[in-house]
Amino acid sequence: MNSTKHFSVVIIGAGPAGVGAALKLYKSGIKSIAIIERNDKIGGIPSFYKRKKGGVRTFMRWSRGGYPVFGQDYAAWLGKQILKTDVEVKLESQVLEIDAKGKMLTFVNSKEGKVNLSADAIIRACGSREETPAERKWIAGARPVKVFFTKQILNLVDRNNLLPMKKPLIIGSDIIAYAAAAKLKAAGASDSTIVDNRTSPKAPFYERLYFRFWGNPQYRGFDVKSLEITGVKSATGVNLNGTHIDCDGIVICGELIPNSELALIGNLKVNIPSRIPVINKNYQLSESGWFAAGNILGGFHGAEWCYYDGKKVADYVLKYISKS
Amino acid sequence: MRKYGKLLYNWSDGNIEESLIFNDDAQLGDIPYDVAIVGAGVVGSALAYKLSKYKLKILLLDKNYDVGEGTSKGNSAIIHTGFDAPVDTLESELVTKASMEWPELAKKLKIPFEVCGALVVAIDEEQEKQLEKVYAKGLKNGVTDIKILSSEEAKKLEPNITDDVLGGILIPRESIADPFATSIAFSEVSLSNGVDIILGVEITAVENPDEKTKTLVTDCGNRITTKIIVNVGGLGSEKLAKLYNGEQFDTNPRRGQFLIFDKFSRPAINHILLPIPTVTTKGVLVVPTIFGNLIAGPTAEDYSHDNKLVADTTTEQLQLLLEGASKLYPKLKEQPVISIFSGVRSNCSQGSYWIRCNDNHPGILTVAGIRSTGFTSSPSLAQHLIDELHDKIGLNLEVNHEAIDSRSEDKWPGWWKRRYDDEKFVKENPEYGKVVCYCEQITRGDVIQHLDSPLKPRTLDSIKRRTRAQMGRCQGFDCMVNIAEIISDHCEVPLDKISKRGPGSEIAQSLTSNYSDEAKNELN
Ligand SMILES: Cc1cc2nc3c(=O)[nH]c(=O)nc-3n(C[C@H](O)[C@H](O)[C@H](O)COP(=O)(O)OP(=O)(O)OC[C@H]3O[C@@H](n4cnc5c(N)ncnc54)[C@H](O)[C@@H]3O)c2cc1C
Ligand SMILES: Cc1cc2nc3c(=O)[nH]c(=O)nc-3n(C[C@H](O)[C@H](O)[C@H](O)COP(=O)(O)OP(=O)(O)OC[C@H]3O[C@@H](n4cnc5c(N)ncnc54)[C@H](O)[C@@H]3O)c2cc1C
Repeated sequence: MNSTKHFSVVIIGAGPAGVGAALKLYKSGIKSIAIIERNDKIGGIPSFYKRKKGGVRTFMRWSRGGYPVFGQDYAAWLGKQILKTDVEVKLESQVLEIDAKGKMLTFVNSKEGKVNLSADAIIRACGSREETPAERKWIAGARPVKVFFTKQILNLVDRNNLLPMKKPLIIGSDIIAYAAAAKLKAAGASDSTIVDNRTSPKAPFYERLYFRFWGNPQYRGFDVKSLEITGVKSATGVNLNGTHIDCDGIVICGELIPNSELALIGNLKVNIPSRIPVINKNYQLSESGWFAAGNILGGFHGAEWCYYDGKKVADYVLKYISKS
Repeated sequence: MRKYGKLLYNWSDGNIEESLIFNDDAQLGDIPYDVAIVGAGVVGSALAYKLSKYKLKILLLDKNYDVGEGTSKGNSAIIHTGFDAPVDTLESELVTKASMEWPELAKKLKIPFEVCGALVVAIDEEQEKQLEKVYAKGLKNGVTDIKILSSEEAKKLEPNITDDVLGGILIPRESIADPFATSIAFSEVSLSNGVDIILGVEITAVENPDEKTKTLVTDCGNRITTKIIVNVGGLGSEKLAKLYNGEQFDTNPRRGQFLIFDKFSRPAINHILLPIPTVTTKGVLVVPTIFGNLIAGPTAEDYSHDNKLVADTTTEQLQLLLEGASKLYPKLKEQPVISIFSGVRSNCSQGSYWIRCNDNHPGILTVAGIRSTGFTSSPSLAQHLIDELHDKIGLNLEVNHEAIDSRSEDKWPGWWKRRYDDEKFVKENPEYGKVVCYCEQITRGDVIQHLDSPLKPRTLDSIKRRTRAQMGRCQGFDCMVNIAEIISDHCEVPLDKISKRGPGSEIAQSLTSNYSDEAKNELN
């Protein structure tokens, strides 16, 4: 393995939060910054929402009056900002493990193999993913194909122009669910049925209203403790309180859960089961010099919120560095 | 020169490379097989493996699109010592024998394997009284290295078990292994030794069972001739036996559900934790897996073959399971569950290890009721079946000196021996530095290595079981489509034909409509 290279700040994740933090740090005079990103592009989750004629714009630019854009364009904009700086960006580089006390990390990529880095401060801007059926605790049943997460739908529909289902059933009812229903409709599927174990959808009315342009999904709220997926080879529906709802594909949407594995492996404190990192009022994690920004901090936040959250956390990092 | 067996898939055009498609009986040649093994679970594959060192023409087939995709894929993955097996039975004999064979076998076949030991935990006075009985049974089964522990000793060994522990039994040689790699390794070696393997074919009729040369008919109307038929059909064994009118036996499915916990829960428990077994079941266990997780299970739920409504998992049973397992390890309730699964045992009313040689017809061997210990016993059971074939059916066993019985060093799965830990590997093949499954840290190189492996796995699930990609905490959120893309690119099969488990389980339906790439970037 190569010897350990040192940076003032290392950021894990080049999503909106990581990029926001990097830009702020750079403009504040920090010259040795590295971002480690496992995807092949800068931009995080937005980069998976491709620009499509007839497609759905799901990223709001509140700072510019709240106009909607395609995620791909937002990601490209983030990338362009970074290119103007000399922040070192490592793409297709996965951080494998961290040493919390030593403020070090190890990543791997195809050009350099395994590489060790150390830093004065490290920001975890690793984002979040959707909860699995097991994590939701009330989804069980069969395990056929065509039970997807939203990100898989993005990769099939937007990246590969493939329609996985024509009669979708969506489990979960937050804004990601309504965005997914709109996307599937735009790509050629019929209106989705949306189910969740709450009487009314999680996404507030005004959010749902935006997606009415693309279709009119039907909401089926329920209050049972259990939903069972049906289908031997391919999903055919769900069983809910003795009623079967037909479909030819299921998307398990929303309900984000932080990407906390590095912290858990590296013994940084994490709340279980929420997986939200334990932070103090200065956005520091349980070891000195470690910070977190963006959707990794839990809840649902849009891309731009995360971008500004990254900038905010950068301020705390600056304070920390100047003190030590 | 060793001659490789043929590998064929019952797949239509465009779903897999043409060279792998089974569409004509003539592909099998016109000489009948000496032995046709129906069922490529762990038992069938082990039999093929052990038979493949003899000069015989052998066929191994299964209705699934990978080997080991039946009961053999959903179990607790324990290599039992047999300490609690029913005394003086064939099962006990074979399990005890196999447990001695396993350490060497795992090394030869590159099956990840670990001796972690097991701890039987007594948590009330009734159970404490049972300890002596369990101990005595262990000794009778020839497991002489077991030890009775006081509550203090048990607690010292496993500090996180319940404070209610009153005593325990340590079984030092209980082990864990990779259940998926086992059927695969057996089958890969068989293939190298000339065994033909056909996947995706169900046997739906057996003709001329009394003749010297019998005919197996598949669901697609293919006809396969063979001198000997071995029925190792697991859950399908009863239906299969009815096709040739074997001696009657009755089986039913017995479902076992499991919870899988995240990897950081694993360090809390080092041994397999077992409750005191009751008359009906071994009870709910807490088991460290070779993959680095903890699992809790299984349930034991009987139903009938006709019941088509039974799902894989139910929230109600999983809740009960968690309650049960928490009695051994109370903090389990706080651990995050990443996935749930179930396996289905084939429960035989006439008893486990129901084996009939010349089953109403000369040259037919029926093996049923390999219910709860078949993963462990597979190597010794295979040897037992070979002895039967030789002694009772007169199968001629001439050793083929060119046959191999092991797999090469590079067969260790990537998750077990990380290629990128050795700089050389990434330099030679940069794909070993490109992580595609983030949770299990599996590289593109690992996936491609398996696509090129002897059984040419082509489904998402078969790649999952080999690489562990999609088996981590995000359950494929990040990598499922990426893996499908790698299969599609590497094997030159369109992406929409990539499936989870073969025909009927493709991931996509059609191209998108009203939706195109023409839009312009409006954000500069
Ligand atoms: C499925 C899904 C759909 C969403 N849809 C929308 C939407 O339509 N509109 C919207 O405004 N918001 C959406 N969001 C919210 C979205 O998460 C935020 O908009 C924003 O992308 C969060 O920014 P972030 O920087 O915190 O995280 P992310 O954008 O998730 O970026 C985190 C980055 O860290 C990288 N990373 C993580 N761990 C490692 C590691 N170990 N090594 C290297 N790199 C690592 C990841 O690859 C990723 O690029 C969605 C979220 C999800 C999960
Ligand atoms: C919940 C659970 C926990 C367990 N835990 C353990 C453990 O810890 N240790 C242990 O040693 N054992 C354990 N077992 C038992 C072990 O898994 C089984 O004994 C073993 O897998 C049986 O293997 P098999 O080859 O007989 O059956 P299978 O793996 O089911 O193989 C039979 C194959 O035959 C095929 N087939 C059937 N009919 C036909 C047909 N007509 N045409 C073509 N193909 C056909 C099927 O597709 C299948 O692949 C457990 C089992 C369960 C369910």
